[in-house]
Amino acid sequence: MNKGYAVLPCNGLDKCAGCVSKEIAIMLSENSESEIICPVLFHTSDARYNKIAQEKPLLVIDGCATRCASKLAAEKNLKITEKINITEEAKANQITLGKGLQVGEEEMRLAKIIFDKLTHVQEDAKTEDTIAFPASLTYEVYKKDKFVFRLPKEERFYFNENDVWAYVVGNKARIGVTDFVQKSLSDIMFFTPPAIGNQMEQFEDAGNIESAKAVFEIISPVSGTILAINEKLMEAPELINQNPYEQGWIAEMELSDFENDKELLHTFDGYFEVLKRKVDEFHVKH
Amino acid sequence: MSNIKVIACSGIGKAMGLMAREAALQVTGKISPDTTETVCLAYVVSGDEEGAKKVEGCTCITIDGCPAMCAAKSVEHAGGIVKAKYRVIDEMRNHKGVDAGTGTALTEDGWKIVDELAGKISEKAAELTKEGQSNG
Amino acid sequence: MDEKQVGVLSCSGEECLGGTIARLATRKVMEVLRPDNVVTLCLPLYIAGGDEERDFAKEYPVIAVDACDKCCAKRATIKYSGAVKDSLVLSDILGEDAVLSKIVSARDLKEEHYKMVDKAAEEICKKVDKILTD
Repeated sequence: MNKGYAVLPCNGLDKCAGCVSKEIAIMLSENSESEIICPVLFHTSDARYNKIAQEKPLLVIDGCATRCASKLAAEKNLKITEKINITEEAKANQITLGKGLQVGEEEMRLAKIIFDKLTHVQEDAKTEDTIAFPASLTYEVYKKDKFVFRLPKEERFYFNENDVWAYVVGNKARIGVTDFVQKSLSDIMFFTPPAIGNQMEQFEDAGNIESAKAVFEIISPVSGTILAINEKLMEAPELINQNPYEQGWIAEMELSDFENDKELLHTFDGYFEVLKRKVDEFHVKH
Repeated sequence: MSNIKVIACSGIGKAMGLMAREAALQVTGKISPDTTETVCLAYVVSGDEEGAKKVEGCTCITIDGCPAMCAAKSVEHAGGIVKAKYRVIDEMRNHKGVDAGTGTALTEDGWKIVDELAGKISEKAAELTKEGQSNG
Repeated sequence: MDEKQVGVLSCSGEECLGGTIARLATRKVMEVLRPDNVVTLCLPLYIAGGDEERDFAKEYPVIAVDACDKCCAKRATIKYSGAVKDSLVLSDILGEDAVLSKIVSARDLKEEHYKMVDKAAEEICKKVDKILTD
């Protein structure tokens, strides 16, 4: 499933470039999971669009060098994932925009080129096989009452104190939650993923998971850009309960600062002690 | 045609197990008492011939609390023809943020979900009964 | 200090009142009366292949609580984990007529039913305590 963009077009009414910006926004909303943010309404009352802006990567489309849409996004403290400038794109594609305000053949051709470029970028992010993950893992277990808490022993696993793991290969990582989280939550019913393309710092929110008992914010153990999410979780979040390290993984990221990030992370030995302490204190009981 | 068997997991550990149980009781005891009946899941798979006979070859509807699907698996293993499988967790996904209660007692919201689910199951049971009658 | 754990595997039989009483009594013991020492095992999960339930029952003592003399919980424990430490049949404690009477929804339970729950819970606790002190 393609999550699409939150699209903030400039919608400028006094230039052709503004009209092309609107045209692209419409094409994206009609042909993908993208949703449009009306810049006029957003400027006066942003409540309506806050959810979209948080859940989807933000695409800003400026018509010209005035960059009204970019400025509005900055004013609202939004993280911009992708930026398009129509005038610059027209130049790069050797297309001359009309002087009038009608979107003619050439303007539609430009709109199509930009639309294809944007949707192609999202497809690449979704389908690229980013991490070489082992076919099976070796676990250490800690038992409490009838409950068994597994922890993978492989070297490439790193853990933060918020019970989120990262499996690191080169400059990429796969992230997920530990057995402590899925057992504490019991049956997980909802998964709100991080947006593909989102750039985050270590310890920022990377989505959340929710059961009848609680909402758990996934605190990213690493800094980087979200490349992919585990789309199977959208229909079957219970995969996290089945095995949070294998079929229940959350997202894949391109790392931006792992050498520094890992200073604040545990490897297996350190986190196993953390896990045991938390289990003993929590004493999971239904 | 024999009654449709409506069988719940009754999982003791979670509110969803209680909700599955109560939905089965609602369907068989109140909404559709003439065309449905419930049976003890544990007895069906106990190894007793009498127990297995209760579902073997019969049209069954199972209600599970969670994705473990204990009722569906066990009834199928015992030879029941499971025509519909319900999971309370799927109903809960339509009621985000709701506190349904515990394995001991449900909240008012929990009971509402039970009633909704029981309504759906009763409709299904009626559909299956009609099918059974027209197939002779 | 080693915390002793006792598993309680109860039926929740849907065909008679006893199933409801067994279930509620077991939960009362686990939640209120002996919360530090009792672990409830889920019978349907146990039967369907739940490894955690079965492994626990192999390692720790288990009390089977059944509503009637079909003893489904006891039989399942013996079948999948080898032995049951103790067992209880509610029809012996509360009388067959009461236990085998028509099932009552949790919404419709009356004071007389809760008294049965308390009596059953008391008996379960006696068995738990005996195991803990042995």
